Amino acid sequence: MPSERRLHPLSFVFHVGGQLQQLVVPGLVLLVGAGSAGLDWQIWAMSLIIPSALFALLRCLSFRYRFDDTELVITSGFIFRKERHLPYARVQNIDARQNLLHRFFRVVEVRIETGGGEEPEAAMRVLPLPALGEIRDRVFAGRSSTRPDVAEDAVTPEVQTLLELRPRELLLAGFIDSRGMVIAGAAFGLLWELGLFDRTMDMIFGENASGRGLARRVFRAVFDGGPWPVGQVLQMALVFVAVLFGLRILSMVWSLIRLYGFRLERSGDDLQARFGLFTRVMANIPLHRIQTLTIREGPFHRLSKTVSIRVDSAGSDAKPGSSGTAVKRESLAPIVRRAQLPQLLHDVLPEIDLTEVAWRPVHPRAFRRVIKVSIVFYSVMSVPFISVLDWWSLIVIVPLAFFAYADARMRVRHLGWALGDRAVLFRSGWLIREQTIARFTKIQSVTLGESPFDRRNEMASVRVDTAGAGDASHRVAIPYLGRDTAGEVYEQLSDEAARTSFRW
Amino acid sequence: MIVTAVLSFGLLIGATITWITGELPRWGNLLLLPAWVLLTAGLAWLSYVWPPIEMRYTSYVLDDDGIEIAAGMWWRAVTNVPRSRVQHIDVLQGPLERSYGLGRLVIFTAGTEHSRVELPGLNHQVAYALRNHLLPRGSDDAV
Repeated sequence: MPSERRLHPLSFVFHVGGQLQQLVVPGLVLLVGAGSAGLDWQIWAMSLIIPSALFALLRCLSFRYRFDDTELVITSGFIFRKERHLPYARVQNIDARQNLLHRFFRVVEVRIETGGGEEPEAAMRVLPLPALGEIRDRVFAGRSSTRPDVAEDAVTPEVQTLLELRPRELLLAGFIDSRGMVIAGAAFGLLWELGLFDRTMDMIFGENASGRGLARRVFRAVFDGGPWPVGQVLQMALVFVAVLFGLRILSMVWSLIRLYGFRLERSGDDLQARFGLFTRVMANIPLHRIQTLTIREGPFHRLSKTVSIRVDSAGSDAKPGSSGTAVKRESLAPIVRRAQLPQLLHDVLPEIDLTEVAWRPVHPRAFRRVIKVSIVFYSVMSVPFISVLDWWSLIVIVPLAFFAYADARMRVRHLGWALGDRAVLFRSGWLIREQTIARFTKIQSVTLGESPFDRRNEMASVRVDTAGAGDASHRVAIPYLGRDTAGEVYEQLSDEAARTSFRW
Repeated sequence: MIVTAVLSFGLLIGATITWITGELPRWGNLLLLPAWVLLTAGLAWLSYVWPPIEMRYTSYVLDDDGIEIAAGMWWRAVTNVPRSRVQHIDVLQGPLERSYGLGRLVIFTAGTEHSRVELPGLNHQVAYALRNHLLPRGSDDAV
């Protein structure tokens, strides 16, 4: 007899809290910036909170959910009743989130994502903590009972910890990833809103502080042959370095807070990542939703013998008429020691064995093409130097030329691809090295491309399209292949994709 | 053609106004007429000469595994969409296409770059035949 469950009694507080949160910063800005004069209409605007709080209370009171045999049924609303059916088999993902307030009251915010059916997503704000476990168990039990091939006694699969990150590693991750800019950007935005931006900019570019009109003086020195403000340039350089340093520290602290206690577990077909110091997140990544996996290694990674792993995960979005992807780029492992990498990959993508990959290079004449592009690029870049510095510009141009050559060489040397039994691999980049793995079952379409330059050199490129690739994602797009090789790779990938079936 | 005529006329008006207001120096005014001629010729080329060339380089191959579409003169691309990856297919007809009995096949995949693969300039009946041939047979909607 399916019994009905309700949301936690304090739910409406969290609903209202969510709305308040959106109003807090603009509210503060208004109060601080407006002064005492124009506060009347703002106060009236704020009082609109009250009716919306009442609505939230009603919504929460009317929320009910129950576990039927094959689906989860959620009903809400007093006046307009809405009933949602989420079949267990179609539940793709269950995520949970807890900020400080949630943790104090031992509640959790749950989000369920499904594929197929009319409703893509159901958010339950907030449930008592044990309810989360119950939902997970019920959904999983419901899922496996609808699949006849799964053994009946395998109700709860064992949980296997794949990765656990200590605070020290998180600090390292923060240092490498450098999200400091994001926070600095937010701080700048706030300064702007509060009208303090002008004052700070004055300090740097104006006459107010010890950095008196520094930028102007430097320009004068360079273009008009005036005196070089050496002392101030050094001072500014120090400030610049200090700012960079500060940003890195910010990024490290941010990483520690956001990812504290990072733990990646595998339970059956799902990967679960738990992390967070203040806001605890339990993110679910079903293995079959992983479309591509990218291993990233920058210079600091190499120094510390670590790598970072990202996945493109996508599930079907049920909205009719859309081609259907709900996309997430997730950090599977923000930082992982190189020694642990093979085991982790084996647990996540058992079909692939990275240690046995036979990397194949691109066409031998690729270097010639890359260096030509480099030459053009660096020539254009050195024009301003020549016009300003005359013969002194050689100091800049000669090293630049060396760098261009070395860069082209290294870039071509680090381009590689491989066709495994079950996946295609591609790597590129020498300073920041990235390797992407795309399983054949996840290939959506294959493209053989020839630019006019390709045609002249008898080369071609092969691109693999997958679901949910972000704009900045590293993709399997192999350039500078010989025409014949490209044709073969194209044929083979098309065949493999046709032969395998795609499952969201 | 209408678009070309309209744009060309608009450019002519723009050029005349520039000449009358005397914003450009003498040599600038002298260049206005050749510039307009050049632009109009360019537009006409785009409308008349380019489309047949582009169509000549567009082709497709249909087989049991899927469809392969080749397009482009400068940047040639051959895109293969396996049958198992076709999400759904549209047959589109703009007003002009309708009057000529033509249609456009749009294949939707779950990919990002090629979430829509278009094949224009098909005979309307052929477009429908292709669509029926490519749609997944039976329902093996795996979740």
